[in-house]
Order: sequence, then structure tokens, then C-alpha cells
Amino acid sequence: MSLWLLYGLLLKATVTSFSGMGSLPQIRADLVVTHRALADDQLSQAVLVSRSTPGPVGTYVVSVGYMAAGWPGAVVGWLALVTPALAAIPLLVVVARWHHLPRVRASVDAVVVAGAAMLVPAGLQVARDALLQLRAVAGL
Amino acid sequence: MTSRPSLPTMGWQMVKDANRTLGGGMPAIEVMRRSFTRRGWLDDTGHGLLVAVSRFTPGTNVLAYCAGFGWRIGGMGGAAVALAAASVPGSLAVTLLSAAISRLVESPGVRAALAVAMLAAAALILSSAWALVRPYFLGARPVWAMAITLGAVVLFAAGTPPVRVLLVAAIFGAVSPAPKDAP
Repeated sequence: MSLWLLYGLLLKATVTSFSGMGSLPQIRADLVVTHRALADDQLSQAVLVSRSTPGPVGTYVVSVGYMAAGWPGAVVGWLALVTPALAAIPLLVVVARWHHLPRVRASVDAVVVAGAAMLVPAGLQVARDALLQLRAVAGL
Repeated sequence: MTSRPSLPTMGWQMVKDANRTLGGGMPAIEVMRRSFTRRGWLDDTGHGLLVAVSRFTPGTNVLAYCAGFGWRIGGMGGAAVALAAASVPGSLAVTLLSAAISRLVESPGVRAALAVAMLAAAALILSSAWALVRPYFLGARPVWAMAITLGAVVLFAAGTPPVRVLLVAAIFGAVSPAPKDAP
């Protein structure tokens, strides 16, 4: 698989997701099922690695790139990881320009509150996973 | 009023703040919020704006947060420095660990240490959620905030994708009565 194709496939997955792990189904469909560039257990290991290192969980895309094409693949994976983040800049320009309007501000405030509300289940899930892992290590 | 650090200063601080928590991007965002507000680089309004925008940006939320913060500090150069600072160390660690994954992560000691770190990350995520909603619940609009919170939780629990939940919240916010003292 060429590095351009790898970048295109990884970028397709990251740019169509809205969270770190949201790109996983697309990556599996493209790299595991269609192109057979890596196996399911390698994809699982990539996820495990990103959960075991500091920083965004989305960095599993870098591990996927490494497993598909070595160090050049890791660089390609990093590029696919950071490229969508640049879309925040035009979004920020638009929102900041209209943020003084009460309804726009209320809309942004509502997004902040709703986003925070959805953090609670995510935080509880991380705590649950951690406790299960501790229990497994202790052999209970 | 916020101050603007030099790009190297911001980049180095972001290297330290964005790459020291497990459990995904939200703990890192909470660490950055605390660090940047303490230094006067960011206020609560700016933080809320960055969080809202990062939620609607494709890809990894924390990187969008960092790109937006860096852009506010130093334009496109600031965004590039912030993105590199927030993503290169973690990506290097991921790549190096990918080679040795099966040997290291099977160790019970390593797994226990990771589990404890994840518990700390869970506490940071919940703390982050409270920091974001506190101004609304303790301000003049607790009922409005509670309605949005409950609606978001119910929709999310029903399997609605997060982006759709946020869109519904945005529409609700736009059509609900204008706030008098939003934070």
C-alpha cells in the first residue's frame, strides 16, 4: 500500500469522526477488511497502545500507520491525526465573530453544557474500565 | 483580559500539559484549562468557546482545542506550534510502544499502574464536566442548564451520536430566551 493511499484512508476516517475513537469502524473497514493492510489483532493492539500512553486516544491512528507501513506509516498516521484539527480555526473565526449576539452566545453555551453532560458517562466508563482492570490484575 | 505568551513558551507549556494524562483528551483539556487560566493566557469564556468549537471539529477534540488556542495566541504559526506540541510526544510514545506492546502491557504491574492512572483520568474528566457547567448552574440559569443537561444525557443514553446531541442543544440554545448574565 502506498503512503498516499494510507494517508487518504486514515484521513477519510479521522475527518468523518468527531471523537478520538470515532474513526475506528472506518479504519477497520478500509485497512482490515478491504485492503488487508493489517489484522484485527493489530488494530486491537493499536487501540491498547493509545490507551496506555499519555495524550489523546486518537493517537491510535499513528500506531495503525506504524503497523501498516513502519516509521513512514507512523508519520502518515500523525498527519492524518492532526489535519482535521485545522478545521477548528475557520470555525473559531465564525463563532467568535457572532459570539456577541445573545442567541449565538446562548447556542454556544448550550453546546458547552450538553458537551459537559456527555462527559459524565464517559468519565464513569473510564472509571469502570480501570476498576475492572484492577480487579483482573488482583485475580478477583 | 488575557495575556499572550511567546510561541516557544506556549509550545513548551503545551508539551507538558497535553501529554501527561491518560484516559483521552478531556483530562488533558482540563489540565490545560487550569494551567492556562493560572497564567492568564485564557479565561472561562475563551475556554468554553474553544470547547464548543472543538466538539464540532472533525477528528480528535483535544487537538482541535489546541489548534484553536494556538491560533488565538499566534495565528497560523501558533496553531502549528500548538498542534505539534500536543501531538508529537504522544505519537512518538505510541509508535515506540507499538513495537513492544505485547511484552509490556501483559505485565501485571504495568496493568495495575495503568488502571490507577485511568482512575485519576476519570476524576479529571468529571472535574472538567463540573468546571464547564458550574457557571450556568450557580448563575441565574440553573433550570435552563438542567434542562439541557437532562436532555443531552437522555439523548446520549438512547444512542444518539454526540454531534447530533450537540446540534439539538445548539438549536435549543438559539431558540430559548436570551440569557441575561451568561458567563
